[in-house]
Amino acid sequence: MPAFLLPDLGEGLTEAEIAGWHVQVGDTVAIDQIVVEVETAKAVVEIPVPFAGEVSILHGKVGEVINVGSPLITVTAPATLSDSASGNVLIGYGTPDSARRRRRRNGAAAAVASPVSAPANANSAGRAGDRIPVVSPIVRRLARDAGLELRSIEGSGADGLITRQDVERAVQSHRESNGIDPPPAISASPAGQDQHPVGPDVVRIPIRGLRKTVADKLARSRREIPEATVWVDVDATGLLEFRASLNADQSAPKISLLALISRFTVLALQRYPELNSRIEGEEIVVNPTVNLGFAAQTDRGLMVPVVPAANALSIEQLSNALAERTARARDGRLTPAELTGGTFTVNNYGVFGVDGSAAIINHPEVGILGIGRIIDRPWVVDGQVVPRRVTELTLAFDHRVCDGGVAGGFLRFIADCVESPSHALRHL
Amino acid sequence: MGTTCPRRWERIVTSAAVARTHAPSLLPSAEPLGLLRLDGSIDSGSELSMPSDEVLSTLHRRIVLGRRFDAQATALTKQGRLAVYPSARGQEAGEIGAVMALREQDWLFPTYRDSMAVVARGVDPVEVLTLLRGDWHCGYDPYEHRVGPQCTPLATNALHAVGLAHAAKVKGEDTVALVMLGDGATSEGDTHEALNFAAVWKSPVVFFVQNNGYAISVPLAKQTAAPSLAHKGIGYGIPSMLIDGNDVAAVYAAVNKAVAAAAAGGGPTLIEAITYRIEAHTNADDATRYRDRAEVEFWLQRDPLDRIRRHLVDRGLLDDEAIAEIDAAAEAEAATLRERMNVDTQLDPSDLFRHVYAEQTETLRRQAADLAAELALSKE
Amino acid sequence: MTTVAEPAVRPMANPSPVTMAAALNRALADALHEDERVLVLGEDVGTLGGVFRVTDGLAAQFGENRVFDTPLAESAIVGTAIGMAMNGLRPVVEMQFDAFAYPAFEQITSHLAKLRNRTRGRVALPIVIRIPYGGGIGGVEHHCDSSEVYYTHTAGLRVVTPGSPADAYSLLRQAIDSPDPVIFLEPKRRYWSKESAPLTQSDLRLDQACVRRAGTDVTLISYGGALGTALEAAEAAEDEGRSVEVVDLRSLSPFDDATAAASVRRTGRAIVIHEASRFCGYGAEVAARLSEQCFHYLEAPILRVAGFDIPYPPPNLEQHHLPSVDRILDAIDSLQWQETGARRATVGA
Repeated sequence: MPAFLLPDLGEGLTEAEIAGWHVQVGDTVAIDQIVVEVETAKAVVEIPVPFAGEVSILHGKVGEVINVGSPLITVTAPATLSDSASGNVLIGYGTPDSARRRRRRNGAAAAVASPVSAPANANSAGRAGDRIPVVSPIVRRLARDAGLELRSIEGSGADGLITRQDVERAVQSHRESNGIDPPPAISASPAGQDQHPVGPDVVRIPIRGLRKTVADKLARSRREIPEATVWVDVDATGLLEFRASLNADQSAPKISLLALISRFTVLALQRYPELNSRIEGEEIVVNPTVNLGFAAQTDRGLMVPVVPAANALSIEQLSNALAERTARARDGRLTPAELTGGTFTVNNYGVFGVDGSAAIINHPEVGILGIGRIIDRPWVVDGQVVPRRVTELTLAFDHRVCDGGVAGGFLRFIADCVESPSHALRHL
Repeated sequence: MGTTCPRRWERIVTSAAVARTHAPSLLPSAEPLGLLRLDGSIDSGSELSMPSDEVLSTLHRRIVLGRRFDAQATALTKQGRLAVYPSARGQEAGEIGAVMALREQDWLFPTYRDSMAVVARGVDPVEVLTLLRGDWHCGYDPYEHRVGPQCTPLATNALHAVGLAHAAKVKGEDTVALVMLGDGATSEGDTHEALNFAAVWKSPVVFFVQNNGYAISVPLAKQTAAPSLAHKGIGYGIPSMLIDGNDVAAVYAAVNKAVAAAAAGGGPTLIEAITYRIEAHTNADDATRYRDRAEVEFWLQRDPLDRIRRHLVDRGLLDDEAIAEIDAAAEAEAATLRERMNVDTQLDPSDLFRHVYAEQTETLRRQAADLAAELALSKE
Repeated sequence: MTTVAEPAVRPMANPSPVTMAAALNRALADALHEDERVLVLGEDVGTLGGVFRVTDGLAAQFGENRVFDTPLAESAIVGTAIGMAMNGLRPVVEMQFDAFAYPAFEQITSHLAKLRNRTRGRVALPIVIRIPYGGGIGGVEHHCDSSEVYYTHTAGLRVVTPGSPADAYSLLRQAIDSPDPVIFLEPKRRYWSKESAPLTQSDLRLDQACVRRAGTDVTLISYGGALGTALEAAEAAEDEGRSVEVVDLRSLSPFDDATAAASVRRTGRAIVIHEASRFCGYGAEVAARLSEQCFHYLEAPILRVAGFDIPYPPPNLEQHHLPSVDRILDAIDSLQWQETGARRATVGA
């Protein structure tokens, strides 16, 4: 039973007053028969009904004002007429849109935790709420990449503008990571708290620079991520033999153990892509590219250089990349860009002589693979207890992005590759 | 140089004087020319040549169909199917008579009110109504029936008509361009420029002015002080005719004559057809604000359809049966139009970015992609 | 309709210097010769050969059917050209001066720009509207405007402007060949500038910009009459130890993002230079676009050196209004050089 809605009768009109009906309920009307006269802001208009049939409802009395888009008259269509079967509800032009549905906004990438957005520098003449002015976008980014907080940098430009020299100076002093300047107020312990150790032998080490950055990140990881850990012992004898045979070729660059395990990790991430993701707001964003970070202990502290697009590298290429970055990390020559953008981390803490570790996930990644020391342990082979080269692999993962099945599967895959490298060939 | 200059100047002066002597022949008649009186009888003293019976019958039929189309479009607008519809009711003689006098190879340049004429020319009615529906700014291929897009900026297409006709002449093609103008449009600068260029270039153009008494609400008396709009022709050196615009036989005859003159190399003609706009300017207009019912009634007595029908009936060329058949045909066309117009069109927003240039630019490609992405999000 | 049988003159190996006006003249002649659909029309273009002699000799060579004078009515000149193009011809229309085109603005924006779109591609209007524009010739009132943004802001129009005689030839030939309507802005102050270059169709497309002068420190972006000033400023900056790159836009609409952005990403600094008023001028679009595309590469804000926001001055004061070499050098100096510690290149390096 189609209702004829009041159309816009004149380029943007919104309503009309019923001036007079030409029909009554029960009358039979033909298509285009004039059924009503309405008065708009511009004119009196006679309106023809677009369908034929019996008038069943008049949606207003004489003198009533009806909005454009509201029902005007309802006509019961006789079964025989085909026009009425169209059931089209007619809407006039310029009818105010029933509030246009708001669409989903483009998922803007949640900004990586950045120390840069900060309240106005005390030296700045800017108004409260302004961003801290930096002389150029490039310099602003330099500061961010170096992990510096703008509010800790004193601007030497006009009105406290932070210049490139200011940032370069700040970067330099943080690299040296021993305090030249007195520590900023925030990191000092607040006065009036209980039981400070005092005395001439008490050593106070400020948490600043790289150490502070790392500390903040670790704290955040543990604070935000509900992580779980799975671990497994694996017989690495086969892997070591495999590596030995690879490196038998004296002319070729040496393939490291870390490289091999990293390659297995990359393969595993391709099979279990949830572990190569990050959480943004209410979404898990899965990255098809593996930017593999690996923990490197340097004189300055813990660093995690990143090999970008590790999934596109061969074992040899990966090995070279790892070696090269390790060397530069030791020399302090890594650029800020090379320390960011990772999607998964491998952590060979076995060099410290320990077996297992519930490692802290490198936020905002969702998983970290740990590799323990490789030592002789008793192992059962064909029913016999024999010494094998055994190591422990651990996976700490963000339980929000996957369940134990995925985590276990991931770790098992790597373990299988370690125990039998030829297993990995299938997936190369 | 020394001797040729004075002679050349003399020739110019002489020929100008001759032109001035013959100038009065360019003027229109004092009274509008007609062929059929109000009662349908023939005015045998007319300067115009009566069209054949066959033509008269066709004109009658087309007027019936045209009027029915116009009424249906008006109804559809009041039902919200068209954004706006400027009706030509009452002007059927001009709409139909002028178009019927064009040959297939000629061009028609209509305004926004001339939907009836464009349909009579052969363009699909739904295509004609595309613009008024709001789906696209022109719904038909101009080259298919040689009809320019419906022109909203008045008189600007008069220049297009002149240019097209000039090109035809340059190419040696037999093409006449007819441009439709209203009384208001004759005040626009482009009308003046078009008349001037057409006269200087001797372009094969017919300027067909339908003087329906009003430009929306502004009456003729406020539009011009000229004795008639046709009188403007002499200023350009263009022969002009003043005719009864509600006499379809006269309209046909006058346009026919002008087309023939143009085709024969005689240059442009200016025709003013006196008629009346029965409906308001559009559905959004309230005509009672500027004219009274009595005036409308006066012109309803001069209905163009009545006149031609009476003539044909009196001469035994039309009977009730034939009229019923024509009415039925008109109803059928109206029903088809309703059916087709009551279907919602599916518009493709990416069309917006096509046909801005011959080849889509990089910027447009990106903007089209941005819009597509937005729409994809809205669908979720 | 007759065409002349003479072949177009082939360019010589070592061409003698040719002015921009002559280059344009040659382009018209070659186009008229190669395509019988091409027409040239406008005020005084026939017998007189144009007030700047750009159409000199063409009426005599090709006849009055193809090169002819119109009555004095700009709207009609463009409007009838539209009708001619609808009927298969390719009119090349001349507007005598920049501001004289305003009566034709309606025809240009309501019809020329829109008919292809309105008819979904069925009606093409391959029309070129040649407009001498800009100042710097001591012209009196109403003769020196730069109205490019009215046209660049109108979708459906192409707007191009040559900076050199060789480019004038190439761009005009390509404009005449284009299926789209082209507003062809001729910098009248450069009509008499000379260049020794063969007049051929360049490899560059109608919508491409080009780097006129390579440099590393800053990009000057300009077009038309101001291009010459930009090049002069680049030379002067060299003496002060700066390496300046100059981009000649050539096409104002569409805009060649690729060329301009690539340059700014390399140099990190940009200045747009034009005669027209700064407010809502062409430079505003360039600056906004390049800011969006090159934000992270920028060492300084993108500046504009442009005319003041005033009606075009009288001849005796115009030198204060037009971008000058000194103004451009001042702008270059203000681009925050201490930030990069950019070493000034040694002279002669």
